[in-house]
Amino acid sequence: MKVTEEIVLESLREVIDPEIGCNIVDLGLVYSVVIAGASVDVTMTLTTPGCPMHETICWGVKEALLNLEGVEEAEIELVWDPPWHPSMMTEVGRAATGVRL
Amino acid sequence: MAVSSHIFGGGKQPRLGAAPVATPQVNATAPPVILPFSFIMSGLLALCTGVAWLVVRPELVAAYHYNQSIIAVTHLFVLGWICSVVMGAMYQLVPVALETHLYSPRLAWCQFVLHCVGFIGMVWTFHTWNMKQVGHFGSILALGVGLFVFNLVQTLRRVPKWNVIASAVAAALTWISFGVLAGLSIAAAKSFNDPDSASLSGDRTSLLLGALKAMAAWVARFDPISTMHAHAHLGVLGCFIMLIVGVSYKLVPMFTLSEIQNRARAVSSIALLNLGLAASFLAVLLRWRGKIACTLIVVAGLALYGLELTAILRTRKRRSFDWGIRLFLTGVTMLLPLSVLGVILSWPGLPLNALTGQLENLYGFLALIGVITPAIIGMLYKIIPFLVWFKSYSRQIGRARVPALADMYSASGQMLGFWAYLLGLSVTSVAIVATSTAAIRLGCALLALSLLTLLLNVGLMLNHFLKPKLKPVSPMVGAKPAACL
Repeated sequence: MKVTEEIVLESLREVIDPEIGCNIVDLGLVYSVVIAGASVDVTMTLTTPGCPMHETICWGVKEALLNLEGVEEAEIELVWDPPWHPSMMTEVGRAATGVRL
Repeated sequence: MAVSSHIFGGGKQPRLGAAPVATPQVNATAPPVILPFSFIMSGLLALCTGVAWLVVRPELVAAYHYNQSIIAVTHLFVLGWICSVVMGAMYQLVPVALETHLYSPRLAWCQFVLHCVGFIGMVWTFHTWNMKQVGHFGSILALGVGLFVFNLVQTLRRVPKWNVIASAVAAALTWISFGVLAGLSIAAAKSFNDPDSASLSGDRTSLLLGALKAMAAWVARFDPISTMHAHAHLGVLGCFIMLIVGVSYKLVPMFTLSEIQNRARAVSSIALLNLGLAASFLAVLLRWRGKIACTLIVVAGLALYGLELTAILRTRKRRSFDWGIRLFLTGVTMLLPLSVLGVILSWPGLPLNALTGQLENLYGFLALIGVITPAIIGMLYKIIPFLVWFKSYSRQIGRARVPALADMYSASGQMLGFWAYLLGLSVTSVAIVATSTAAIRLGCALLALSLLTLLLNVGLMLNHFLKPKLKPVSPMVGAKPAACL
C-alpha cells in the first residue's frame, strides 16, 4: 500500500503532548512531511524549547510512522524556527485545549 | 519522487516561504525517575508528620518560637519537607530546564542517604534539645548539602546558554550553603556553651575542635535570637523563595503557553532579591535599626517579580488554569501579605511584646506554609504525573493510546484540596495572632484534609506504575496489523 500524507497525519494524531492533552497534528507541531518511497521524514517543533517531553514525543512520532505499512525508515527533525504559535493549531485543537490566539 | 507538504495544523503559517531551521539536537536527559521520587516521597512523609504534629500540639505556634519543639517542627518542615522535595525536583528539573545533563546521579543518591539521616536526627535531637547531637547530625546533613551543591554547580557549568533561571539557581545554591554553615555555627556555639561538652573544649590537640571552639566563641557574641532569625532568612528567603522566583520564569510560561515579557525586569528582580537578602542577613544579625531599608530592597525585588509574572500570565495562550497552577499562583500571591508583614516586623522601634512575637510566628508560618508549601504542592501536580507518565508510557507513545497527565489524577480531589488548604491557611493564620489553640488545631486539621486529597491523588498517579492505562490505537488505513493491537 502506498503511504500518503493523509495516512501519515492520521497516524501522528495518535501521538499526544501529554501536558496539553492534544495530539501533535491538531497542536500544529508538525511542520512538514516528506515521503520518498518507504522513507518518511517529518519536520516538527514543540510548544517550548527545553520541553521535558521532547525526546519522548520524537520517539512516539518515529514509532507511529514505523507502525505504518510500507514505511521502513522514519527521520524526525526537531526545529525551533519558526517558533510554535497557537495560530498553527487546528480549530479542533484550540477547542479541545482552550488555547487562544 | 519525493512528496513534500508543509503542514501547520490547518492554521496560519507565520513566515511564508521560510524553510524551518534545524536546531542542534538537545539531549536533555534527567536522572532515573526513582531518584527524584525518593526525595519527593520522603518530603511528603515529613510534611504529613509536621502537620499532624501541629494538630496534636497546636500550642507550639501559639507561644513564642524560641523553644525546642517549635524549632524541631520548623526543621522538619524546612529540611524534611521543603528541602527534600526541592532537592529531588532540582535533580530532575535543572537539567531539563537548562538543557543539560545531571553531573552525577550517584552523588545524588549518596546525598539522599546523608540528607535523610541528617534531618531525621536533627529533628529528634532538637526535640530532645541535645545540641551536641544536633551538631553531629547537622554535619551529616551539611555533607549531603555539600554534595548537592557540588553536583548542581558541575551541572550548571555544562549549561550551553546562561540565563536568568541559571542565575537564580546559582544564587539559591549560594544561599543554601551559607544557610547551612550559619546553622552549623549556631549549633557549635550552643554545643560548646553546654557544660556537658566541657571535656571536648579542653582537647586542644585537635585542630578541628579548636576551630569549632573559635567559631562557637565568635558566633556566641551575637544575640542568639537574631542569629536564629538571620539563619532562617538565608535558608527560607535566600534559597527557597529565590528558587520559586527563578524557576517560575521557566515553568509558568511553559505551563500556560506564554513567555517572559521583559528580560531586564526578570534579571533585576533576581539582582534586587540577592542584594536585599545579603543586606537583610547583616541587618537582622546585627539588630541594625535600618533593617527596614534592606527589607524594602527585597520587597522591590518581589514587586518586580510580581509585575513580570502578571505580564507573563496576561499574554498566556492557555485560558484556564489547572488546579496545580492555581495552587502555585496562590503561594506566589501570598508573598504580598508576607512582604507587608516583613515591613511591619522591620519597622524601627517596633515594641517587643507578645503581639510582635505572634506576628513573628505568623511570618514564619506564612513563609513556610503560606508561600513555599502551596507553590511546591502546585508544582508536584506537574512533576509527579510527569515522572510516572515518563516511566510508564514514554516507550508506549506512538504504539498505543496513552493518557494525558491530567487524566492521571482526580481534578475534583485537587479542587477540594485547594479550598481546604486556603481555608486551613486562613484559619490558622488568624488563630496564631489570636493565640487560640483550638482554632489553630481546626486550621491545621483543614490543612491535613487538604494533604489527604494530595495523598489520594498521589496514590492514583502511582497506580499507573502498577496498572498502565493503555488503549489500542484507532484501526487506520495503512497500519501494520500489529499496530492495532
